Amino acid sequence: MNHQGELEFGVRKPRALSVSQLVRMVRESLESNLDQCWVVGEVSNARLAPSGHLYLTLKDARSAIAVVMFRSASERLRFRVNDGLQVLVRGRVSLYEARGTLQFYAEEIQPRGLGALQLAFEQLKQKLAAEGLFDVARKRPVPFLPRTVGIVTALGGAALRDMLFILMGRNPNLHVLIRPTRVQGAGAAADVAAGLDELNRDGRCEVIIVGRGGGSLEDLWAFNEEIVARAIRRSAIPVISAVGHEIDYTIADFAADVRAPTPTAAAHLATASKEELKQRVDETAATLVGAMRGVVAAYRKDVAQLARRVRNPAAQLRQNRQRVDDAAGALNAAALRALHDRRSRVTHLAQRLRAPLDVARELRNRAARAALHLAHRLSAMVQARRVQTARAAVNLGRSSLPQRAGAHRRELAAHTEHLIGRMHRAVEMRRHRLAQLAARLDSLSPLKVLERGYAVAVNLRDGHAITDAASVEIGDELEVRVNRGRIRAVTSARQT
Amino acid sequence: MANQEKKFEDELKELEDTVARIDSGELSLEESIQAFEHGVALVRSLNQKLDEAEKKIEVLVRDSQGELRTTPYRVEAKNGGEEEE
Repeated sequence: MNHQGELEFGVRKPRALSVSQLVRMVRESLESNLDQCWVVGEVSNARLAPSGHLYLTLKDARSAIAVVMFRSASERLRFRVNDGLQVLVRGRVSLYEARGTLQFYAEEIQPRGLGALQLAFEQLKQKLAAEGLFDVARKRPVPFLPRTVGIVTALGGAALRDMLFILMGRNPNLHVLIRPTRVQGAGAAADVAAGLDELNRDGRCEVIIVGRGGGSLEDLWAFNEEIVARAIRRSAIPVISAVGHEIDYTIADFAADVRAPTPTAAAHLATASKEELKQRVDETAATLVGAMRGVVAAYRKDVAQLARRVRNPAAQLRQNRQRVDDAAGALNAAALRALHDRRSRVTHLAQRLRAPLDVARELRNRAARAALHLAHRLSAMVQARRVQTARAAVNLGRSSLPQRAGAHRRELAAHTEHLIGRMHRAVEMRRHRLAQLAARLDSLSPLKVLERGYAVAVNLRDGHAITDAASVEIGDELEVRVNRGRIRAVTSARQT
Repeated sequence: MANQEKKFEDELKELEDTVARIDSGELSLEESIQAFEHGVALVRSLNQKLDEAEKKIEVLVRDSQGELRTTPYRVEAKNGGEEEE
């Protein structure tokens, strides 16, 4: 073709070419001279058309060229070709005949510096992080003691064997539900995502482990795909990611509720050791019993202390009782004394009841004796005066003084009269006193006392008024004098 | 997934709290005895929870109708798919 072009331009005289001819000639010339090559540049105006073709402009400081990547190639891109990205593009230059524009037809695009997968990883990570898919707030705790654990992994993989070994070792009662999936290659990511969804639909698991053993970045790639990350986040059951080795971080790890560095570690995280728990329960139970023993012991000690303190009140009580007894005794004694006083007063009164009768008689006798004595003395005195008078008369007669005798006689008569008057007054006074005494006596009369309700009891055995119960024998007949009348009584009991 | 009954760890925590409460000496004897009885019940429940799940390893598969069902796991079972490591 080249020689033909040269011939046409060089040898033959010029003739007009159609546009199509020209463009085709240019295209053919370009394609034959410019082999496939790698071009370095910065992406701008990148645009993924609905058809799946990727359009962009690759540029450097001075020039730019339009780039198109057809769907068949763009589909294999793991990262997004964003503006500003420094890329290496492999392809060939050609002419877009419809517009006659120069275009670079890209077969492959690689990010500069990073590997394509790394870039894809970073891009997806950024995108999902921006969506909040990795938010810590979304992380759910793994149940402490799940009864059923789900596993999404390859059925024949070493990862599953490792996990089962650990799970059954830690909790022999565990129920494990395995959802086999492809874990690498085409469709693996979709299978893993479907597995997560199916375990959720089954609903029995309390926690799901999703993962696989170690491998290359390519091998682990399914776990870096958006579809897996979204399925993990969508799961209603907490998900533990367990992909590769400790150094391998995948998007699944970021999306999961818990990232386990290895499948073995995931198995540890998924279920607690039954033995350890049993031990803990046993120990806590022992502590419980110990604590209760402590409480009981403490209360027992309190009770003992209180009991010691209670002894004092008991003594106090005894003392109080003694005081009450003493007081009761004193009261009793006082009552007895009072009773005795009353009794002696009654006795005394009774004595006095009897006495006035005698006293009155006695007084009357004494008054009579006094009157008699008085009369004797009066007559003696009168006799004495008379003798004196006679003697004086003799003496007068002897002195022969009749006048003096007459005077003496008159004086004597006056004296006598005066004396007799005084005697009468003296007798009258005594009579008056006697009357007063009689009146008082009357007020003291036993009858008056009897009027007040007292009674006099006379023992008919000896006729004496009773002042001492001891003087009365059981069976003695008593006459009880009351204000009006007498009562005959028989002694049935006595108290001294 | 929804666990109606109390979770193991909650019960264990409750048991430990119960012990602490009894130990604190702040409870009356009556309350202590009540707490103790509660603790004993928790110990029983905890031990039961540790034993209650039945050991079982199953594989979730789709049958011909596309329905999910489980089959017993056999170590030899190979899915003929991917190799790992």
